[in-house]
Amino acid sequence: MLQCIFLLSDSGEVMLEKQLTGHRVDRSICDWFWEQTVSQADSTKLPPVIASPTHYIFQITREGITFLACTQVEMPPLMGIEFLCRVADVLSDYLGGLNEDVIKDNFVIVYELLDEMIDNGFPLTTEPNILREMIAPPNIVSKVLGVMTGNSSNVSNTLPGATASCVPWRSTEPKHANNEVYVDLLEEMDAVINRDGILVKCEIYGEVEVNSHLSGLPDLTLSFANPSILNDVRFHPCVRFRPWESNNILSFVPPDGQFKLMSYRVKKLKSTPIYVKPQLTSDAGTCRLSVLVGIRNDPGKTIDSVTVQFQLLPCILSANLSSNHGTVSILANKTCSWSIGRIPKDKAPSLSGTLTLETGMERLHVFPTFQVGFRIMGVALSGLQIDTLDIKNLPSRPYKGFRALTQAGQYEVRS
Amino acid sequence: MFPQFGATAETLSKASTLVFRIGTDAHLYDDPEDANIAPLLDSKFDSEKCEALKRLLALIAQGVDVSNFFPQVVKNVASQSLEVKKLVYLYLLHYAEKRPNEALLSINCFQKDLGDPNPLVRAWALRAMAGIRLLVIAPIVLVAVEKCARDPSVYVRKCAANALPKLHDLRIEENTPALEEIVGILLNDHSPGVVGAAAAAFTSVCPNNLSLIGRNYRRLCEALPDVEEWGQILLIEILLRFVIAKHGLVQESIMFQSCCTESSQSEKDGSDVNSAFEEDNGDTGCDFMSELVNMVSRCYIEGPDEYLSRLSYINEVSSGLDRSCFMSGRSNDDVKMLLQCTSPLLWSHNSAVVLAAAGVHWIMAPREDVKRIVKPLLFLLRSSHASKYVVLCNIQVFAKAMPFFFAPHFEDFFICSSESYQIKALKLEILSSIAMDSSISSIFQEFQDYIRDPDRRFAADTVAAIGLCAQRLPKVANICLEGLLALTREEYLIGDFVCMDEETNILIQAIMSIEAILKQDPPAHEKVIVQLVRSLDSIKVPAARAIIIWIIGEYNTIGEIIPRMLTTVLTYLARCFASEAQETKLQILNTAVKVLLCAKGKDLWTFKSVLSYVLELAKCDLNYDVRDRAHILKELMSCYLGQDLEEETDCLPRKDIPQILAECIFRGQRKPMSPEPINFRFYLPGSLSQIVLHAAPGYEPLPKPCSLLSNDLHQRLNVVGSGEGATNSDSYETDDPDRLSQSANEESTSGYSSQNSISGSSGSDVPGSESEDDDNVDPLIRFSDVGISNKKQNGVSRSGSDSMEELMSKQTLESWLDEQPSLSDPNLSKQSQVRRSSARISIGDIGGRVKPKIYGLLDPTNGNGLRVNYSFSSEISSMSPQLVCVELIFENCSAESMSKVLLVDEESNKGLDSADQSLVATESSMPSQNDVPNLVYMEEIASIEPGQSTKCILQVRFHHHLLPVKLALWCNGNKYPVKLRPDIGYFIKPLPMDVEVFVNKESHLPGMFEYERRCTFTDHIREMNSDKGDSSLTKDKFLVICKSLAVKMLSNANLFLVSVDMPVASNLDDASGLRLRFSSEILSNSIPCLITITIEGNCSEPLNVTVKVNCEETVFGLNLLNRIVNFLVEPSITHL
Repeated sequence: MLQCIFLLSDSGEVMLEKQLTGHRVDRSICDWFWEQTVSQADSTKLPPVIASPTHYIFQITREGITFLACTQVEMPPLMGIEFLCRVADVLSDYLGGLNEDVIKDNFVIVYELLDEMIDNGFPLTTEPNILREMIAPPNIVSKVLGVMTGNSSNVSNTLPGATASCVPWRSTEPKHANNEVYVDLLEEMDAVINRDGILVKCEIYGEVEVNSHLSGLPDLTLSFANPSILNDVRFHPCVRFRPWESNNILSFVPPDGQFKLMSYRVKKLKSTPIYVKPQLTSDAGTCRLSVLVGIRNDPGKTIDSVTVQFQLLPCILSANLSSNHGTVSILANKTCSWSIGRIPKDKAPSLSGTLTLETGMERLHVFPTFQVGFRIMGVALSGLQIDTLDIKNLPSRPYKGFRALTQAGQYEVRS
Repeated sequence: MFPQFGATAETLSKASTLVFRIGTDAHLYDDPEDANIAPLLDSKFDSEKCEALKRLLALIAQGVDVSNFFPQVVKNVASQSLEVKKLVYLYLLHYAEKRPNEALLSINCFQKDLGDPNPLVRAWALRAMAGIRLLVIAPIVLVAVEKCARDPSVYVRKCAANALPKLHDLRIEENTPALEEIVGILLNDHSPGVVGAAAAAFTSVCPNNLSLIGRNYRRLCEALPDVEEWGQILLIEILLRFVIAKHGLVQESIMFQSCCTESSQSEKDGSDVNSAFEEDNGDTGCDFMSELVNMVSRCYIEGPDEYLSRLSYINEVSSGLDRSCFMSGRSNDDVKMLLQCTSPLLWSHNSAVVLAAAGVHWIMAPREDVKRIVKPLLFLLRSSHASKYVVLCNIQVFAKAMPFFFAPHFEDFFICSSESYQIKALKLEILSSIAMDSSISSIFQEFQDYIRDPDRRFAADTVAAIGLCAQRLPKVANICLEGLLALTREEYLIGDFVCMDEETNILIQAIMSIEAILKQDPPAHEKVIVQLVRSLDSIKVPAARAIIIWIIGEYNTIGEIIPRMLTTVLTYLARCFASEAQETKLQILNTAVKVLLCAKGKDLWTFKSVLSYVLELAKCDLNYDVRDRAHILKELMSCYLGQDLEEETDCLPRKDIPQILAECIFRGQRKPMSPEPINFRFYLPGSLSQIVLHAAPGYEPLPKPCSLLSNDLHQRLNVVGSGEGATNSDSYETDDPDRLSQSANEESTSGYSSQNSISGSSGSDVPGSESEDDDNVDPLIRFSDVGISNKKQNGVSRSGSDSMEELMSKQTLESWLDEQPSLSDPNLSKQSQVRRSSARISIGDIGGRVKPKIYGLLDPTNGNGLRVNYSFSSEISSMSPQLVCVELIFENCSAESMSKVLLVDEESNKGLDSADQSLVATESSMPSQNDVPNLVYMEEIASIEPGQSTKCILQVRFHHHLLPVKLALWCNGNKYPVKLRPDIGYFIKPLPMDVEVFVNKESHLPGMFEYERRCTFTDHIREMNSDKGDSSLTKDKFLVICKSLAVKMLSNANLFLVSVDMPVASNLDDASGLRLRFSSEILSNSIPCLITITIEGNCSEPLNVTVKVNCEETVFGLNLLNRIVNFLVEPSITHL
């Protein structure tokens, strides 16, 4: 089981340590870890499971913060990693994002959360909605109150009802003035387009997010119009397996608040909403670059937040790039970012320019990969459609809302 | 209430964090020592305490040691504010181990909190108390956990389960059975949340006690989907281990290796991919695979280290597992159930659960069902980067063993440039092992893109992967070779621009891949070799050149073109020899020799001259390796080089040694390509060891198939055997005097004295020894009429007092932990009914049978023939209450006499003379609390003759009732370090009292001062059995039980037997209600310690014994209780 958790800032400073068992882990292990990190080149990060001379280290990095856990004995490594991910999720949810300052400013809450989330190296309470009942998230009201009265307890005095109820993710009797439930389809498109312009792989990774504010103990049934297109599925623990197995129906008692009901994958899609066509021709120490972006299949809604990013190769000395639409910027880590925004109707945005190669190098033999980002509101590109949402066990008619959103995931265009 | 307001408040708060950081704890973290912490801690306002504690926490977070505030912080544990409590607990747990003494101060508060009506407070108190991890309070914690394990709140029970590993960590062996019992209770809990935590406790407390699972197997399976995700991960593994230990492996699973070839043909309809694969690859692939799968399954069960080491000396891949390890999964309900309850978990949103469930299916599911794990596993690749890596490591093994499962999903392993290098490398390896003829073209298309990737290390790996694919799929070898050759001609690789390490790596890798493909079928690829030779001109990288030159030498006889061009090539090589790098030079030498050895006819002369030219050059080389090589080759080849052409025919029959050597070294026939020996290490899927590729501490392979059943049988046999042995050896007991005197309420004074004397040392001539003298007196049983009538008359009144007593204990129980009284009520009333009619007996004369247990202090083998045993004496030290009397028995087992035998305290053994001893004596004559010597010494034993033994009494001060005292034994001038282990049973002395006093005292020690444990007692059975042969038909079974219990107690602890209550039940065999009371007081502080033993069960069967201790000194009492239970349980062969 986990022996210790450290939170490291992006400069390798230990911000927090929480010892979990009697086998104390000295924080010098973080120094060792950081040396390893620094000694590695930037492109190749350390693996998430490391055997250090004294401990096995699990590590994940979220927004510059490294979460590090140590153990000395055999345990499922995914358990450690998943737990760290959960901690990162909960903290970022509580603190409204993760960075060095926000963790230091709220270190007491971080400690209290960690203490509730793990006991003796074994996860205790990790359901975010229940944690919220045990430890109140920081907000301006409590802070102002705290400043004025000098009393700022955020520790709940009572055990959340959920821990005692037969539905462990839900408190027994939440009360809401207006009952409402929102179902969001959030989809990410992963695509790989090879240098010949052929779509090698195109699939959708989607999540069904539910935000439920329903009183009592409601029983929900969600069905899709076309469940057969789903290739893989994963469910929140509240989903009953039987109805899905027999009829592909989601039947569940929801937790109170926001949660991820299911995630799914739709494979083998045939087309992408936009096209990105990069061209590189190199000769005599210079390279001409041009990138064309346009709408291929109009999804019917506006495509916005279109961005194209690529890494300038180490062999490129300087770049002179311009675009007819949007802004081009070269970031500190030699990443070139072209943000287009919304694609205009009348013209196709294009980026062009020249790259100067290293002296002695005639032609380019390695080529960058272009990462594309976009966002389409109101459309689920996988074509998944929600058919009905039935709610039982509720006295009044609740408000039901549906939304959909598709954005680019790992969308890569090779050149 | 106001959601909109809340939302704006949150955005506002974000803004404020950035700009002002008002109201956060930022200032505390930035400057924790800004304020004076100590006075804040003592403040009477909770808010100030909070601030101080937060400052301390900030210091802890920053790695500053603030344990010096411990005493002040501990005081605040009593605070009513939950926030203060929480902060104090956080601090306390961080430092408790460093400051054990101060941490003890908080125990009382925890105990109070444990009775709090708020379950959160109870849970926190339990967590903190168990988290302190002090050896001393372990017994209290154990009691608390026991009670909390029955708490009405699920959360508290969960915390109780989590506390078990903490207790187990302290490694107190005495506690283990109790811990396992609680694990069993919690595994049986009706709330799935508790079961999950109990599973975690099981894995750390008693992972091998699978019989505990056997009881609840079905319930656990049914509960599995509802258990919390973290518990599921561990519970799945436990269930898997249990099924394998109980039933063995499944015949239809892929672990059953021998059916790989047979069954896959017979089950072709089972999977299209499977059959397609076989058509593609024929039998070789399948053989290889079956061997690999066999290896995987052996590794899972035996652990790779053991398996591989065994392989190395048996030198033969053994024929797989014994068939008896397998059973049919189709007919076994337990296996079906396991698979059924784990299959929905493949949809879990926790990737660790999915992987654990997949592991079960991988090992247990029938071959055709294993496929269902593929898609969920692949879907895991869409989770976080960190888990992706772990999942890929596991898929890699699956894909190697069963490539065709993953073959259709090759697209999922296509690589994104944003992935980390480790993930890319793993994906490449998987791709090259699952590539099929149908998919290889798309895979190669991808590989071509990868070679152009900016990450050159990855590009080099891709080149290696191409080579692997070609070796697996001979059909595509030609395409691969073409592609690789084209790569070697790329100008950026071979041009003068070779400063980049990565590029040369790609070239070297390409040539190595070509070489590996060539190896499989050299004659077919003659043209490739020719092309390689041609490229020698342009390739400048030494390592690459060396490989090409090696290829020339190796395949110089193949085909038609190569032999013709050899002369040109060799002269070219000879010409550029001087300018080559070292490794290339060595290869040129080798190649020249190889060519010469194979040469025939007219070229021979050219080759000879080339070789001698090259050798001459090499002999003058700057590098000594090259020079050495040249000298050796010159010697070896001397006969070839020196001879003329015409002599060649003659030299063949008379080959001399250098010639044979040369032939062996350079013309050794290559063995036909055999699949490379597989030397992978496989660990269980989902384990840490599989990721780090060595057995992590605590890694255990699967249990031996079917081991559970045989283990149980074995144990049972053992028990029977030892029981028989003991019966035989103890038959002497029949001629012991038995005397029973019964009186109603009054204890006979002689009873007292005999009790005292019993506990006295053997050999002392106190009155009780008379019972030893009249050995031949028949058992004397006196039922006094008074007693019977009394019993009948006073039945009511006594029952009154009894029920009174029950009431007391019940009340205290309830007050301590508000259990539902309805549960305990019927039980209690029943018990009191049973006890309502009871008689009191006194056992007079068991003194002769009381023999204290003897422990070994020094073994003759370690002590040069001196054996020292010791037993605890019931004598009370006259000097100080802190001293315990120990009787030492010195025995000379050697053939020589020993002199100057002396036992001294380890610390004061420096200067040893009589002066010191007298000093010790004077000190000890006026003892004060702190100044009691560790050891009050006996006189030095001048000499012990061979075979002789001597006794003496020693008074020892143990610092703690669990910790041994280190002593030094001097004999013949040699020093032997020895350890004297304390026995808590002798830290007390008998406290004579009568029943009324006892009951009265007992009623004053309720609640936390009362502790109970149950155990079984079997001593009496043997005694009864041994009696059967004798005349004693009249012998009362109750009496036997009473006596054996009393003897057992008195032989192991210094107690006073207060009373024996005997039930007068209608059933003569039913011993329920028999109750023995003992009293004593603690030596050091004279606190009374009351022990009550109640018996339930049938006379001739093992009895359920409930031992209850009432004592104000909680820790001591609990340890005493544990000790009593331990010695009651162990079969007595001690008083021999």
